[in-house]
Amino acid sequence: MISLAGRDIMHAWGKFVFTGVGLGLLIGVTLSMAGIYRGMVDDAKALLDNSGADLWVVQQDTLGPYAESSSIYDDTWRSLRGMPGVASAANVTYLTMQVRQGERDVRTMVTGVTPGAAGTSGWPPYLVAGRQITRGHYEAVADIASGFKLGDTLQIRRNYYTVVGLTRRMVSSSGDPMVFIPLKDAQEAQFLKDNDAIHQQRRRTAENPAFNRPQVPGLLDAVIASQSINPYVNAVLVQIESGHNSEVVAESIRRWKRLTVYTRNQMEEILVGKLIATSARQIAMFLVILSIVSSAIVAFIIYTLTLGKIREIAVLKLIGTKNRTIIALIMQQSVALGLIGFVVGKITATLLMAPIFPKYVLLEPLDSVIGFGAVVVICILSSIIAIRAALKVDPAEAIGG
Amino acid sequence: MKSLPIQGRTLALVVVLFPLLALFIYVALRSGPLAPVPVTVARVKTEAITPALFGIGTVEAQYTYKIGPTSAGRLKRLDVEVGDLVRAGQVLGEMDPIDLDDRIRAQDAAGKRAEAQLSEAKARQAYAQIQARRYEQLLTARSTSEEIVATKKHELEVAVAGLQAAAEELVRVHSEGKALLAQRSNLKIVAPSDGLVTLRHVDPGTTVVAGQAVVELVDPANLWINVRFDQIHAGGLTVNLPAQIVLRSQAGEVRGGRVLRVEPYADAVTEETLAKVEFNQLPEPLPPVGELAEITVALPPLPPAPVIANAAIRRVDGKLGVWHVMNGDLRFTPVALGLADLDGSVQVREGLKVGDQYVVYSAKALTADIRIDVVDRIPGVTP
Amino acid sequence: MGYKGIHIESLKKRYGSGDTAVEALKNVDMQVAPGEVVGLIGPSGSGKSTLLKSLGAVIEPTAGRMILGDEVIYDDGWKVKDLRALRRDKIGFVFQAPYLIPFLDVTDNVALLPMLAGVSNSEARKRAVKLLKALDVEHRAKAMPSQLSGGEQQRVAIARGLINRPPVILADEPTAPLDSERALAVIRILNDMARQYETAIIIVTHDEKIIPTFKRIYHIRDGVTYEEVGEGRNFT
Repeated sequence: MISLAGRDIMHAWGKFVFTGVGLGLLIGVTLSMAGIYRGMVDDAKALLDNSGADLWVVQQDTLGPYAESSSIYDDTWRSLRGMPGVASAANVTYLTMQVRQGERDVRTMVTGVTPGAAGTSGWPPYLVAGRQITRGHYEAVADIASGFKLGDTLQIRRNYYTVVGLTRRMVSSSGDPMVFIPLKDAQEAQFLKDNDAIHQQRRRTAENPAFNRPQVPGLLDAVIASQSINPYVNAVLVQIESGHNSEVVAESIRRWKRLTVYTRNQMEEILVGKLIATSARQIAMFLVILSIVSSAIVAFIIYTLTLGKIREIAVLKLIGTKNRTIIALIMQQSVALGLIGFVVGKITATLLMAPIFPKYVLLEPLDSVIGFGAVVVICILSSIIAIRAALKVDPAEAIGG
Repeated sequence: MKSLPIQGRTLALVVVLFPLLALFIYVALRSGPLAPVPVTVARVKTEAITPALFGIGTVEAQYTYKIGPTSAGRLKRLDVEVGDLVRAGQVLGEMDPIDLDDRIRAQDAAGKRAEAQLSEAKARQAYAQIQARRYEQLLTARSTSEEIVATKKHELEVAVAGLQAAAEELVRVHSEGKALLAQRSNLKIVAPSDGLVTLRHVDPGTTVVAGQAVVELVDPANLWINVRFDQIHAGGLTVNLPAQIVLRSQAGEVRGGRVLRVEPYADAVTEETLAKVEFNQLPEPLPPVGELAEITVALPPLPPAPVIANAAIRRVDGKLGVWHVMNGDLRFTPVALGLADLDGSVQVREGLKVGDQYVVYSAKALTADIRIDVVDRIPGVTP
Repeated sequence: MGYKGIHIESLKKRYGSGDTAVEALKNVDMQVAPGEVVGLIGPSGSGKSTLLKSLGAVIEPTAGRMILGDEVIYDDGWKVKDLRALRRDKIGFVFQAPYLIPFLDVTDNVALLPMLAGVSNSEARKRAVKLLKALDVEHRAKAMPSQLSGGEQQRVAIARGLINRPPVILADEPTAPLDSERALAVIRILNDMARQYETAIIIVTHDEKIIPTFKRIYHIRDGVTYEEVGEGRNFT
C-alpha cells in the first residue's frame, strides 16, 4: 500500500513545513494562552503556598488580604496565638506599590513579614540567592522577576532597603513580584505618605483649634503622635497544630474573636474563583477564538491544497481509486499539518514565547496532551470541507470536454 | 544521479524534521513540571560566628529643659534664637510685668509713709514718756492729782503701742515690696543650665499659660541614641556592649558607641526592647536631635560550632529543617537551630553533622521525590 | 456472451428533460475487437466526449447496451454495481494531457493502481518497470513527472493505462500536444500494446497526422456513428 498523503507531503515538503510552522506559531500562541491561564492559577496558588499558612485571619466581612483590603490590629495575633489548635500566628502586610531602584521603578507587592527567622509564616519559603532577612529593618528579599540584584538599594517610600536575598515564583495573584521587608518597615510604608503630605497633615492638625489648645500644653504633640503610627496589619497567618482540623480552629476563631477566617481551600476559591475569574474567562474566550482561527486556517490550507490537486483527484477517481483512499489522502495531510504545527507550537511556546511573556506561563504536560488531541480533532474536522470538495469532483472532468 | 532529487529531499527532511523532533522531545521532558529542579548545595561547616543585634533609634538629648513662666502672662521679650548656646543663669527673656512696676513704686511710697508714721509714733511715745515722768515727780511733790498722773501713764502706754504698730507696719510694707520685687524677677526667663536652644515655641506678645514652655534647651554634651530592638532580636543585649552607629545623614560612616542602659520597661505595644546607646565621641557638627540612626550591637563571639546558611531553612509539615542531600537523593531533615549572625549563618544544634550536604538554594519548592540538578548558580541569578 | 472487446448497441444519451432536452447520443453502434485500434472522429459537439464518458462509466447513458470484454455493463441501466472498480479493472485511460500525479515518480505513477488495489509495492513496481521498458521510458523510471518531456509523459500515461491489463483502453486525443514523429510513435505503441495484450483501443482524435493509420474509423455526427474503412497505413 502506498501513502499518497506522505508522498504528496514529501513532494512539496518545503511548502508543507513552512505552512506547518506558520500554523505552529498560532498553536504556540494558543498553548501560551492556556499557559497564561495556568500561570495565573499557579500564581494564585504560589501566593498561598508561599505564605505557609493554614488559616488567614482578616478583618471581619472582608475577602482580604489579597482580594480585598483588610486591616486588623497588629496585636490581634497574640489573642489568636492563645486559641487551641493554633501552632503559630504571624502578622503580615501586603501593599502593591512601585518600588524604586536607581532610575527605574518596578511594580511589586511589598510584603511585611513578622520578625523571626526563616520558616516563619509569610517568609519566603526558599531562596535562589543571598540570604534571608536577619536585621529587623531595612533589609529586603526580592523576587528575581523584579530584576533586582543582590546588594541593590531599593527605595520604598522614604526608606532605603538593601536586597540581601532573591526568590523565585514569589508573586502576587496578579503576577507582580514580591518584595519581602520587615513588618515594622512595611507598616510604616503602608501608612507613610510622602513628606509633603505628612507636613500638610501636621499643619492641618496644628491649625485645628480643637487639637491645638493653649490651656492644654502637649495635646498637639499627642495628637500628631497618635496620627503617626500604624497599628494595623492586613492579615494574621495562622498555622495549625498537627492533629487539629483547620475548619474547626477557623470556626472557633470566627466565633470567639469575631474575625473572618479563611482556610486554604476557601482562599484558593477566592483567588481563583473571584480574583482571576474575569481574566480566566477572557483567556477562555481567546482560546476559543484561537481554536476557531486555527481550524479556519487549517481548513483553508487543506482546502487550497486540495483544490490544487483537483485534476489529480479527478484522474484518481477516473482510474478507479476508492473514495476512502482520497479521504485518507486529505485527512492524513491535514493531520500531518497539525502534527508539524503542534510540534512547532510546543517548541515555540516553551522556548520562545513562555520566557518572553512578562507574566508566568505554566505549560502543563496535560494541557499539551489535550492540545494535541484538540489539534488532531480540529484538523480532521477542518479537512471535511476539502474532503467534500474532493468527493464532489466529477471523474468525467478528467476526460476533456 | 537520477535519484538525487529524492535523496536531497530526504536529506533536507532529516536535517529539518529530526532536530525539530529532538527539540520537541527535549522540550517535553526538560521543561515544565517534569524537568529536574536546579539546586545549589553546600556542606555544614564549623565556624565561629559573631551574633549581633540590629536596631533603629533616634538621636535624643539626655536632658531636655522646657522653660516657661510660672504664671500666666504675656511674653514681653525673648532674647535667644534657636541654636544659641546659653550659660546657666543667663536671662533668655522676660514676661510683660504689666502693672507690677507701678505696684512696686506704690509699695515704695507706702514704705516711706510707714517710716514716717513710725517716726511720728516715736515722737509721740517720747513726749508721752516725758509727760508721764514729770507728772510723777509733781505727784511726789503733791502738786498734782493722782488722776492726772494716771491719765499721763495711760497716754504713754498708748504711745508705746502706737510705736510698735508703726514698726510692724513698716516691716509689712517692706516685705510686700520684696515680694513684688521677687515677682518681678520671676518674670525673667532664666537658663537653668548650660545648653543649646532647640526650640522657641512662642514669640513676644503671645500670652502663655503657667507651665507652658517658651523655649527648650538641650545639653549638647549629653546626646544619646534611643534604640528600639525587636524583642525577638534582643537576646543578649546588656550594658557596655560595643555598638556601631550609622546616622541616616552620614550613611556609610560608622561611629563607635556603647550600650549605656537597657531600659527596664520594654514597649509592650510595639513589642520592642528599648536601650540607650551613647557615642564614644560626639560627632562634629552635632547630629540634629531626632535624626534616625541604625545601631548594630555586636555580641561576644561564639565558640566554633556547625553552621549552615539561613537560606537553606525550610518549613515542611510544620517542622523546621533543611533538605539533606544523600547520594543525590533528597531527604527533609528537621533541625534544631542555635544562634545566628547578621550575615545569614545559623548554628545547627541537632539534625546535621559537619560535612553533611544540604540544599541552599532551589529554583522551586522541593519535595522528597523531585529530581534535582545540582548547579553552581540557579539559572537567572546574575552574579 | 461470445463478445470480446467493445460492443455498443443503440446507445442513447439525453441531457436534461422536456423542451430543453438535448440528445447528445442518438444512436451509437460500435464494435472494437480485442487487439484492434479504431479511431473516433467527430467535430466539436458531435457527442464524442459523451460517448467516451459513457464508455468510461463516468456518466450514465439513457438507453442502449454496452459490453466491455465479456461483461455486459449497461443494458438500459448499469449492470455493474461498482463502476469505480470497473474503471480500475476493465478500462485504461489515456488523456490528451497526461495528468500524471505530480508527487509520485514515474514508476509509482504507473504502479499506483495495483498498489491501491493491494498488490505489494515491490510487485506493483516490478510490473510498472516492465511496462516502462516496453514503452522505452525505463530510463526515466525514478524521475518526477515534471522532469519529463511531453512524449515521455504521454508514454508514462499509456503505461499507467495498461498496468492492469484492461481489456479496453480509451484514449482521448493522446497525440494532441505532440509533434508528428512523437504522435506516430505513441500510436505505434498503442498498436503494439493492443496486439500484445489483446486490448481493444478507441482513440478519439482529430489529429490529421494519425488518422491515416487507422484501419477502421468511426465518425460521429449529431450523436450518430458511421463506420468507415481507414487507410490502415503502416508507419514509416
